[in-house]
Amino acid sequence: MAAFVIAINLFPPFSFSYIIDIKYMSIEEKDLVSRAVKGDGKAFAQLYEEHFDKIYRYLYFRLGNKEEAEDLTQEVFVKALEAIGSYKWRDLPFAAWLMRIARNRMIDYWRKEGKVEKLAWDDNIAHVEGPNPALIAEQRLEIKDLVGKIKKLSKGQREVISLRFGGEFSVAEVAKVLNKSTGTVKALQHSGIIALRKMLLTDK
Amino acid sequence: MDKKIRIEDILDDCLERMLNGESIEDCLQYYPWQATKLEPLLRTSSELIQKSAAIQPDPDFKARVHSQLQGKLYAKRVKAEKKASVPVWRGRWAMAMTSVFVVLLAGVATVAASANALPDESLYGMKLATENAMVTLASSGENEAELHIQFAERRTVEIAEMARQGKSDRIPELTEQFTTHLNEVNQVEPRPGSGAKMPQLLAPDVALNRDGAVDDSTSKGGEQEEKLKIMLDNSRARSLSTLSVVLAEAPSEAKASLKQAISDVTQDYDETLADMENAAISATRKKPELSVEQSSKDVKRELRKKAYNLESASTLEVQNKAETSLK
Repeated sequence: MAAFVIAINLFPPFSFSYIIDIKYMSIEEKDLVSRAVKGDGKAFAQLYEEHFDKIYRYLYFRLGNKEEAEDLTQEVFVKALEAIGSYKWRDLPFAAWLMRIARNRMIDYWRKEGKVEKLAWDDNIAHVEGPNPALIAEQRLEIKDLVGKIKKLSKGQREVISLRFGGEFSVAEVAKVLNKSTGTVKALQHSGIIALRKMLLTDK
Repeated sequence: MDKKIRIEDILDDCLERMLNGESIEDCLQYYPWQATKLEPLLRTSSELIQKSAAIQPDPDFKARVHSQLQGKLYAKRVKAEKKASVPVWRGRWAMAMTSVFVVLLAGVATVAASANALPDESLYGMKLATENAMVTLASSGENEAELHIQFAERRTVEIAEMARQGKSDRIPELTEQFTTHLNEVNQVEPRPGSGAKMPQLLAPDVALNRDGAVDDSTSKGGEQEEKLKIMLDNSRARSLSTLSVVLAEAPSEAKASLKQAISDVTQDYDETLADMENAAISATRKKPELSVEQSSKDVKRELRKKAYNLESASTLEVQNKAETSLK
């Protein structure tokens, strides 16, 4: 029994809580998504609430500009509303489907605008909430600095870190979005965090 | 314990744990043989988690998108309902007859009282039914277009009132109704025997009939079109002025929806006005052998271009007005 408990702790993907959690989330989301597919506006609104901040944060990590991130987030949800009727669960989990729209919109945006992914930072910093203006200003600078560093990572690392921390995706979901194996995603996550660590140490 | 687990897997496991609220120290306890390598990576990850969580979309922006999507959802629903409904002419007349019946039952006094009803009041349904009946029973295409302009303006007054009362959830639906009315202005069908033409084909000097030949009965068309344009222009000025005044007074929770409504209303007015102008220009330039269907397509293409150019200038103008009144 003791060995079983240790095994569960060591391999969380096989732990009961993990399985129950994933199943619960899936059933709830499946129900919401299937209602939204049938045209239920309330279900779509709930999915919007659930995913809006994550999509925005991911785009903000990738674009590094508040206005561009806002424009594209808006486009992603308009596009999702238009296309939700043709969404099929078996192809891709909903969050990954939404994130693919976001990635495609971003790539389209860079192509249409004739832009390449910017490596430099501009001053259009994300919105930060809080009661203390001094703290907010400090946080904004820290975020600016962090996103600047993420932009210096390799393309694969940048994509994985943005999806994992900005989009709050699990490794399995990131793998689905990027069409990569979970092993590759974990390796990119590991090397990305090491690279960020080095950059942070250089600053200090 | 299996010390052969790869560091990438251990790091990911710890990240999941941290995202679920466990501390760095808790994680290190699971993998003591990797603690030295793992700790700095977990500290960096923790920084990433905390700073990512601080990035939030602007609440105003989020509310604006929400409001836009609500409008689109409403339009989608209306479109689906229309698709499933009976043929247009039958639907229109059935609706008109029902409305007339309701009017007779309810009495003229009630109908008059409903004219100022707001969307959350019991007489509002009567108001819309009466409007429908008036549109269906309009004596000519021009008269119908005038009614649509008038009812579109009513919707903007209702938007303003709902915003003033902080009932922002009503605004997207009203904005969609407004758009539906304005879309109808250039799409009204000619009434058999009324001699009226579709406004979209009216031109100052020349227009084409359905066979593509020059129609000489359209000399009055220019005057009618000019009258409609003036009416629409005046309606635009009144509506935008009402909405921008209310923007200054409205409670903060209604401001985002109202701003979106102002932008949509401005765009719709400008598109409809550009539609009229371009239809007239296009019709005068058309060769007689060109089909009516083809001419409509060209007009629409031109129109979209113009409306797009107008949009940014007009939205800016209204927002400037609103901001001035806010100050």
